[in-house]
Amino acid sequence: MSTTQSKLEKNHPLSKDQEDTRNPEKVGVFLCRCGGNISHTVDMAKLKDSIQAEFVGEFENLCSLDCRRHIREEIIERDLDRVVIAACSPITHLKTFQNYADLLNPYMVEMVNIREQCSWVHSDSEKATKKAIELTQAGVEKVKKALALDKIIRQTEKSAAVFGGGISGITAALSLANQGVKTCIIEKNPTIGGNMVKIGKVFSPEKLAEECSLCILNPIINEVINHKNIRILTKTNLLRAGRRSTHFKIILEKETGFVHEDLCIACGRCVEVCPVDVPDEWNQKMTTRKAIYKPFSQAVPDVYTIDLENCIRCGKCEKVCTMGAINFNLKSEVIPLKAGNVIIATGHESFDLNKRPEYGYHRFVDVISQMDLARILGVNGPTQGELLKISDGKRPDRVVMVQCTGSRDEKDDGKRYCSKVCCMVALKHASIIRERFPETEVVICYTDMRTVGMYENYLRYVQDKGIKLIRGRPGEVSKKDDKLLVRVEDTLERKPLEIETDMVVLSEAIEPSPSTMRIAQKFNVGLSQDLFIKEKHSKIKPVNTDMERVFVCGTAQGPKDITDSVSQANAAAAKVSEQIKNGTEAEPPVAVIKTSRCNLCGKCMDICGFKAVYRDEENMAVDPMACRGCGACAGLCPQEAIEIKGINDLELYAQIKGLLSDKKEKEIRILAFLDNVGYTAADTIGNNRLCYPEAIRIIKIPSINRIMPHHLMYAFEHGADGVLMAEYPDECMLEAHKAKIKELNESVKNQGIPSDRLRFYKAYAPHYRGLAQQFTRFFEDIAASN
Amino acid sequence: MKKIPYENILLFKSCLVNVEYPGVESSTRYIFDKLGVEYRVDPDQSCCTGLGYYYDLFDQLSTTALAVRNFYLARRSGHENITTLCSTCYAIMKKTIKLLNSNENARQEVNDILKKAGLSHMQYQAGDLSSENNIFHVVEVFYSLKEQIAKKIKVDLSGIRIASHHACHYCKVYPEDSITPFRNPMVLDELASSCGAQVVDWYDFKKATCGAGFSQRFANRDLSLSATSDKLLALEGETDILLHMCPNCQMQLDRYQPVLEKELGRKLNLVHLNIAQLSALAMGADPYKIAGIQTHSVPVEGLLDKIKVHTNLE
Repeated sequence: MSTTQSKLEKNHPLSKDQEDTRNPEKVGVFLCRCGGNISHTVDMAKLKDSIQAEFVGEFENLCSLDCRRHIREEIIERDLDRVVIAACSPITHLKTFQNYADLLNPYMVEMVNIREQCSWVHSDSEKATKKAIELTQAGVEKVKKALALDKIIRQTEKSAAVFGGGISGITAALSLANQGVKTCIIEKNPTIGGNMVKIGKVFSPEKLAEECSLCILNPIINEVINHKNIRILTKTNLLRAGRRSTHFKIILEKETGFVHEDLCIACGRCVEVCPVDVPDEWNQKMTTRKAIYKPFSQAVPDVYTIDLENCIRCGKCEKVCTMGAINFNLKSEVIPLKAGNVIIATGHESFDLNKRPEYGYHRFVDVISQMDLARILGVNGPTQGELLKISDGKRPDRVVMVQCTGSRDEKDDGKRYCSKVCCMVALKHASIIRERFPETEVVICYTDMRTVGMYENYLRYVQDKGIKLIRGRPGEVSKKDDKLLVRVEDTLERKPLEIETDMVVLSEAIEPSPSTMRIAQKFNVGLSQDLFIKEKHSKIKPVNTDMERVFVCGTAQGPKDITDSVSQANAAAAKVSEQIKNGTEAEPPVAVIKTSRCNLCGKCMDICGFKAVYRDEENMAVDPMACRGCGACAGLCPQEAIEIKGINDLELYAQIKGLLSDKKEKEIRILAFLDNVGYTAADTIGNNRLCYPEAIRIIKIPSINRIMPHHLMYAFEHGADGVLMAEYPDECMLEAHKAKIKELNESVKNQGIPSDRLRFYKAYAPHYRGLAQQFTRFFEDIAASN
Repeated sequence: MKKIPYENILLFKSCLVNVEYPGVESSTRYIFDKLGVEYRVDPDQSCCTGLGYYYDLFDQLSTTALAVRNFYLARRSGHENITTLCSTCYAIMKKTIKLLNSNENARQEVNDILKKAGLSHMQYQAGDLSSENNIFHVVEVFYSLKEQIAKKIKVDLSGIRIASHHACHYCKVYPEDSITPFRNPMVLDELASSCGAQVVDWYDFKKATCGAGFSQRFANRDLSLSATSDKLLALEGETDILLHMCPNCQMQLDRYQPVLEKELGRKLNLVHLNIAQLSALAMGADPYKIAGIQTHSVPVEGLLDKIKVHTNLE
């Protein structure tokens, strides 16, 4: 905050209850000819003479640097405390003039748009001049009621919590840590690495090859472990999350594994004595591990842990541990964490193949999933990388892959979406099999091969290795003697096939994971229709969630491969960094809650589609970064405890009254309340020199939610013949809009005003012609009925 | 699970049951009586038209008009829980109610016909009945009472293997209304378990059709029969009974099994029973007077010997 601003604020401790108890305001009005754009239509001399203010001056090009000097000089010489710029649209030049008048608080600068809303849309010079006078004078009256405000700057805590230690979480955390941000990775499993460490090989379409996933991932993991800015919490779950204005208060629970992580040296003696065998998740339960275990040899952190569910507490491991690292009295630990930002990178789950009994995943041992096959092909897997059947340990002569198991399925228990990675995963495994076990044939039954972009090259590369593609979704997998039988219709040949095979691989769909949903719920983050984390806007706000300072990346957001997950993770890290580096500036209008009046009813929180309102420990609060100042909450608050800073009631009244002043008999005046999109459309009408009646007077508002019945009544009482409200139909505030439209319509009806005198219009920036027509039609309807 | 009624049941007569396997209806009545289920069979009830409808002989209008007449009978007697013996009746009536409730023109057209016929009192108004809350299949009532059924079992079926054939018109037309997962329906399997039999968990072609396909049985005889034989051959040696819930499927598999056996030159050692027939037999019903096994093409007597059930029919 500049000293000028703070001085001004002290000089004008205004509130609407205290008006007119101070010296009259000194308003300076600066009129712009705009190189003829305005002055060719508007009689500038008459305009200048008609305005009542401390100072009125006329300039050729007010936005030129030369005029900066004039504006400053006049402010100093005449001790002006407010300024009206009658020129072009505030959307183009308000910042310029706030800067030229930087001796004053920016909210003491009012722009009147006599170009787009007057000289460019009206051709009758006399009428245009009259309108320009009224617009400018209304601006003077409005700025007299302006209050000095400061920009709101929130410095987000320089830290981040990353939920999920898979490739996405690791990538995001590392990027943040490298930018100096303290980052905590929270992982529910005993090791970080996620699915990527399990899959063995990754496809590399640009090299037409498969690469070792652990070899790519390991250096990154090592960097993460040794990074001074990264803390890793494994076996840790989110208990609670509380929102504050600059950070989140997170409460975590780290489950005990009965092993002191800092004492264990991972010698592995404990494993030798453990008597309990448990199916090993790392190998998709195709092998067993002990109740005390390390998920895989390169697991991070490199320590053993006890699986509490299966451990029989025999104490044998405790006895052989020379480090004294094992202690059965260790308890789970509750860990508080303060984080400025949150990244949700909690990944996905695989479709439950039991839901497709016709494929026999649980009836036939050799019907497996692609992840099972990945483990089988992995050199650290159950068969040391040999392609062998689980049933008899023999090499299969043929492998049939069934694509879209659970994906692209419109029935109730299926996923409607495409899981995006399965075509490439099937091709990758087909490629490995054809390369290393050329005597084994590979058949892929597909719905469509979706190998977009460069991936198409990979498809050709694998096809050249000799695989068979059949377009058709198998109906059933059956067994005949010792062979599996896949029944499928070849939909290109239009004939039913029965394919005998030794191994069937189901390409399981990617599903949203329940733990992602739980985290989303605790952070109040919205989910998509398919129950993945929803981005704020997939085009212009990717990786942002609908919650400020909570971001998403990887498969928690939707099905995607490693390449896309990594880019998205880097994007999420960049967005966190943006928050932290600059802090964020919010400009009024914003809602402010007077906690003394608030009774915590929570209605404001429910109505806000921007999720700006939240409850901190004892109060309701508004996050100014998320707030758009639309006013929906203020209109709803039964305690009148919410104020919208930036466009106060007195300003609104003054502007309404000003725009309706000097109305002649039989003259028609229509007030048009336009939101930012509506205002932009109105500017475009001007840019295109379309015409509409002079009767239209535009007031810029943040949203129609800002307008209360008493504003409307004030307008009608002061001579408005009609009121038009135009706003872009923002999806997240649709309910609030509907309620507002109903409220305003009812208030008009109760006052006995004809219902067609209040109109609503959905504004779209490119459809400015529609708005112009709306202006004209409204005017003509009123003229006809008068 | 949706709420299944035990009273005000209109036990909806089925043409195929009455003509082909009347024992299915008498067995159902026997079980309902034993369990204290309150039901009514309306002598005025007409056919659902399902057979004609799926043969493309009846159109939707006549089907709907006839259904409205039957709905009126159900309402008149206060037995609005229409419970069918046949899965085609079940699907036809669900479809009709959905249509009547959602399509004003269709409703109007049917009501006009009734008015012209002097039957205005039968007219149907939107929402008079609902597809979800008024149409049930008998197996659903059995399923919700399976513990009570289990308590009344008198015959030891523990040496008998039973495989199930779930009707397409029950689980594939309105899968969302099926009371067990529609991809792997377990209604019959669980009921067979309650009767004390061994259940064949899965068999090849379990989800496949019986092959009847209405007109397919005659128009595409080879295709129809090949589907039937796929199923029967898959079950050969795997089960003693194939359990049914639809008279049409039962007819297809029971009537054509001898045809197939003749072609193969061997017996398949497998009989067909409706779940009502099986449960009634297990509860001690007479195999001829109640279960009506004398109308079957594949003789059931061998099975009766195995489970030591004898008739008191002299």
